[in-house]
Amino acid sequence: MSELQLEESRVKEAKEAKAQILDMESLNNPAAMKLYRRLDGILILVLFTFLTLGIQIQFTLTAGDWDYWVDWKDRRWWPLVTPLTLLMPIGAFTYGIWQRVRLPIMATALTTLLCLVAWGSHYLNFYKFTYFPLTFVFPATYIGVGILLDCALVMTRSLVVSAFIGAGLFGALVYPLNWPLIAAYRTAVEFNGTLLSLADLMGYEYIRTTTPEYLRIIESSTLRTFGGSVVPLTAVFAGFVSIVVYAIFLWVGSYVNKLVTFAKRIM
Amino acid sequence: MGVRATKHIMMAVKKMRSRLGLAWVVLSALVLFSGDVLAHGERAQLASMRMRTVHWFDTQVTPLQAKVGDTVTLTGKFIPSVYWPETLPSIAAMAFLNVGVPGPTFLRVHSEVNGVPMMRSTAFPLGKVYEYKVVMRARIPGRYHVHPLINVENAGSLIGKGTWLEIDKADTDAPFVNNATVLTGETVDLETYGLGGVIGWHLVWIAMGVAWLLFWLVRKELFIPRFMRIRALGADRANELLTKKDFVVSAMFFTLTLTIILTGYLWAEWKYPLTIPLQTGKVGVLGLDVPDGNLKIEVDSASYKLDGRSLTMHAKMTNNGERPLRIDEFITANIRFINPKVAEGKIVEGEEMVARNGLTVSVDVINPGETKDVVIVASDTLWEQYRMTGLIQDPDSRFAGLLFYGDDQGKRYYQEVGGSILPSYF
Repeated sequence: MSELQLEESRVKEAKEAKAQILDMESLNNPAAMKLYRRLDGILILVLFTFLTLGIQIQFTLTAGDWDYWVDWKDRRWWPLVTPLTLLMPIGAFTYGIWQRVRLPIMATALTTLLCLVAWGSHYLNFYKFTYFPLTFVFPATYIGVGILLDCALVMTRSLVVSAFIGAGLFGALVYPLNWPLIAAYRTAVEFNGTLLSLADLMGYEYIRTTTPEYLRIIESSTLRTFGGSVVPLTAVFAGFVSIVVYAIFLWVGSYVNKLVTFAKRIM
Repeated sequence: MGVRATKHIMMAVKKMRSRLGLAWVVLSALVLFSGDVLAHGERAQLASMRMRTVHWFDTQVTPLQAKVGDTVTLTGKFIPSVYWPETLPSIAAMAFLNVGVPGPTFLRVHSEVNGVPMMRSTAFPLGKVYEYKVVMRARIPGRYHVHPLINVENAGSLIGKGTWLEIDKADTDAPFVNNATVLTGETVDLETYGLGGVIGWHLVWIAMGVAWLLFWLVRKELFIPRFMRIRALGADRANELLTKKDFVVSAMFFTLTLTIILTGYLWAEWKYPLTIPLQTGKVGVLGLDVPDGNLKIEVDSASYKLDGRSLTMHAKMTNNGERPLRIDEFITANIRFINPKVAEGKIVEGEEMVARNGLTVSVDVINPGETKDVVIVASDTLWEQYRMTGLIQDPDSRFAGLLFYGDDQGKRYYQEVGGSILPSYF
């Protein structure tokens, strides 16, 4: 490095140090704090709007039918697919927000916003416009597991350790979290001499022209079981895969963060 | 800002206003003067695909006028074509008998094919006859075009002939009820059953989520101040921003959340002690043999006139039966071409896509033991109307259809005919 470059670097560092001192001083300035609060408010509004739209589109594209219909919420695929798809944006956004402002909110924010927007969408699109009863199209909830993931992050203060505890619980507990919502529709009914759950019966009775029965990706009979215990096995597997997916998307988040530095450099 | 710039802006705003106004007028006109959306894609698929997939016939919907809560029955028959395109996933692998209606405007209360209930997916081997029945209860008032429909896995939907239905409001204003009796003996209304619990638990979790977010977002220093502090502290000391209170509250939320999840699970187990997994599987259904009346048909050639809206078929027919036979009808792609010399053509109320005088046959009768060269011409504007002349654009110029004939005792027979087809330009 030439002397000129060294000098430039020193000047830059001095400027940054001065800026940081000014920043810290501004935190004691009531007028500056008022401005920050306003900007924070705008930031929350923009961020949450973006997150709401983003999570709705992402979740619809990756787990749409599992969330739309009560006769898709099975014991094997739904509790596996939905946490995985949710943990992708959660992992990516958590990294940035945690590294920059130490706020453990992304899992709860995304799951809560998804719940609210899903209710709005299901109510308008399925109930009001296409006449499905809400009993057949209510969305699932993931807020509980989102809170657990965020809490794990605060308590462990580590993205890696929280990936094991929080993401593991996120994947494992989707089914028990939603069981109070869906259990009613798993009651047995006899229909034309065939055993059906109420959810299956609703899927048959409420006509979906382009969603035939065979299209459902749900649990089917298999020899690959462990004493017939589907729910616990799926929970363990979903927990494990959730840890991996969350870790991968934390890495994606870190990579995106580096792009910001790169963008600054080229600008 | 200069006066010129202001003028420019005003002019741009005026221009935009007039364009928006024009767009509004056009949109309003479209809404006001556009016709109903009538079709479920009857004409959308390739002509050769419609001719060689499923032959629907004897489709009937009764009654054509009903009230909410009334029962409507859809019946008919179909034959999956033996000329089924090899490029298309087969109906003989996985299929589902469905109804083409706008969503759950009807409640499907029963469906069967050849007497087998059709709640589940099935398969329909080619070249066999399947008699279906779908019973529905009207749920939402309106005017609907109802079709029988078969979904074929990885291929798409194949629809039969549509029939218009008028559904009026029920006599009472009572909400629609869809009762089901579960195996424990309880009768529940599927329109509302369990909804209170669903909404209640959702509210609990939304409250928890909002509480957690408020705890972190309603504080003196949020994004910008925290960002500044972390920048000043450095990445290694960033955790100093988290206080003991944050830790305690998080631990409380963690414990409370786990407790609520466990409580909810136990509550559901207590409230619904007898539950089963979602049921799925495939049912088998046996097809019936085609009643061909011992008439052997060999199609020699077939052509269609591009401008004449007609299909001409040359066939050698041998009557190996004991009664004389007359050809009275040809069906392809849901269009019925009727031979007026032989049959009046029984047309059910509300039936569409019928060419009453559409079939000309060169031979009146084929007597027992006779072999005759027969020229059959199916001609009508329906070829054009249902975009059948588009055969020339199809990458696979083959056709198929059902030929109907009867004996002197009024017995009805039919079988499928098909093969290559050539365009005739003149």
